[in-house]
Amino acid sequence: MKKKVNSNRVILSLVFLVLGFMVAFSFRVTQDESDNRKGLTDRQWDQHISLRNELIEQEEKNRELQKELNEKQEKVRNIEANLSKEAQVFFNMAEDAEKYRMFLGKVKVSGDGVKVTLADGEYNPDEENINNYLVHEHHVFKVINELYISGAAAISVNGQRISHKSYVLCTGPVITVDGYQHPAPFEITAIGDPDVLSSALNITGGVKDQLVNDQIVFTIEEVDDIQMDPILGN
Amino acid sequence: MWLPIMGLIIGVIIGLLTDITIPEEYSNYLSIAILAALDTLFGGIRAQLQNIYDEKVFVSGFFFNIVLAASLAFLGVHLGVDLYLAAVFAFGVRLFQNIAVIRRILLTKWSTTSEK
Repeated sequence: MKKKVNSNRVILSLVFLVLGFMVAFSFRVTQDESDNRKGLTDRQWDQHISLRNELIEQEEKNRELQKELNEKQEKVRNIEANLSKEAQVFFNMAEDAEKYRMFLGKVKVSGDGVKVTLADGEYNPDEENINNYLVHEHHVFKVINELYISGAAAISVNGQRISHKSYVLCTGPVITVDGYQHPAPFEITAIGDPDVLSSALNITGGVKDQLVNDQIVFTIEEVDDIQMDPILGN
Repeated sequence: MWLPIMGLIIGVIIGLLTDITIPEEYSNYLSIAILAALDTLFGGIRAQLQNIYDEKVFVSGFFFNIVLAASLAFLGVHLGVDLYLAAVFAFGVRLFQNIAVIRRILLTKWSTTSEK
């Protein structure tokens, strides 16, 4: 009889357990619906909030990193600007160096230019002094200086390159350029803008007029693609 | 007597703590099932008081009524007829009848004991 009562109780408690579960479950479901939190339970809600907090944290971190990145980029840009400035300076220096090498006769130069020929005047029996119609070194000087002033990059006399330390000497009937003697006529070749050079020489009262006054045969022609070799042993 | 109450409490706790969510359209079935369970429970109490209580009938009726009510509601939804209303009606009427009977029996018992 005792066992009968016991099993009775057990089955009854099972029934009550199912009933309690169903009532509580239904209660909770209905409450969730009335709360209308998109069907979220408390635990899901907590999880939701913690995930949101994590997201916010990550975003703040991202923002800081972004700021840092911007700063770094600013630094890089400054460095790049400096570099480009330096590059500009170096470029200018390289250009200058090239120009100076050209003037010093250390490199081969090629380009358009002019060729000036100075020849002695015709033999004139009336003239007492023969020097009055010969080409003298100062005539050559004048032409060379005028060409340099007008922006010639390189000049050669009878094919011999003139450099910053060249000298032109009058040695009797010939002139000596850097130790090499050259007879008349003298061909002075200059590389530069042909128009500028020729107009600089042809200017009224300029070099050409002076030389012609001194009975010198002066011819000038524009030449394309002149080649000048570097000075040997320089 | 504490064992069934313990069962009830444990059931309530489990029901409150479970994280299962059911779709809204199934909550109807749950209500019907609860109604069936309550009906059977009060039927059992009445039978106990009238001394015609049979455990097998009670337990089988409890679970069978739950399943039957839920499946009736399910069938009603799929047929387009609000069959769950029939279940609500039937169970509701019987619930009130049972409670009325229980009340009368208890009243009779109480008046006889007070007369003594």
